[in-house]
Amino acid sequence: MNKWNDMLPLTEAFYYILIALYREPSHGYGIMQDTEQMSGGRVKIGAGTLYTALNTLLNKGWIDHFPVPEGTDSRRKMYQITPEGKRAAAAEMVRLEEMLMAGRQIMSSEME
Amino acid sequence: MEEQLEKRYRLNLSWDYEKEEQWINQLSAQGLHLMKPGTVKSWFKKDPSVRYSYCLDYQPGLKRGASMQDYLQLYQDAGWEYVTSYNGIWHYFRKIWEPAPTPKLYTDQESLAGQYQKMQRILSVVLCSNVMIFIIVMTILLLRWQSMLWTIALPVTILYILLFILLGYGYRRAGSKIKQLSDRF
Repeated sequence: MNKWNDMLPLTEAFYYILIALYREPSHGYGIMQDTEQMSGGRVKIGAGTLYTALNTLLNKGWIDHFPVPEGTDSRRKMYQITPEGKRAAAAEMVRLEEMLMAGRQIMSSEME
Repeated sequence: MEEQLEKRYRLNLSWDYEKEEQWINQLSAQGLHLMKPGTVKSWFKKDPSVRYSYCLDYQPGLKRGASMQDYLQLYQDAGWEYVTSYNGIWHYFRKIWEPAPTPKLYTDQESLAGQYQKMQRILSVVLCSNVMIFIIVMTILLLRWQSMLWTIALPVTILYILLFILLGYGYRRAGSKIKQLSDRF
């Protein structure tokens, strides 16, 4: 058993925030746009949901502040995923894969 | 020139804030747009040419300064115009009204339930600290001013009991909202 179990399963918002930051550090608005694009417009994270999720993830140590690069808009705080956050995202994917596999096995055996 | 504001009355309580939102949005549809909220009396600006969708956000613990700025920046990026704050705890946002979908700050049940949990925690802290203050005040009264027991102690007790009932009621209302949000089946 690992220490992520109290947070898994992740909500869609938490999952997509981690996946968006896995690719590259970003600010809140970027995370919203990435999530909408990755989910084909299905998941839209509201400002309140995102704000509280970012604070929760910061407190958990799954994400961290990222120094805003020179020459970009410094008003927007940027975030990056931590090694702990990467492990959590991977653990969630293992869980999702197991569920998909189980479901697919049953469905494909039914078709034979 | 001082702008003309209209007042409207409604008892606005934290645990009922989704109803308060509905009330504000109905008034905005009639051309009255919230500018200054209050517990009983709220002020609105008349402008029939626009209509807004308002949202309230419960965020205690935000200090004026850097964290408040980051907070407002994020909401602005998401298309929300910041209107005002009430007691530094409730923050009011709006965007131009569109037929559908109704814009929301909290887009899943878990995060909305989290808001009510936060509210419940604060209510229980306020309730507990008031019970403590009440006990201390009563002890002092009983020990030192026994002659004024009826003129002071009775009214104080009644006021405190009313406060405890109100806070306890709010705690239960927030609790039933949390339960309703987490019971999905």
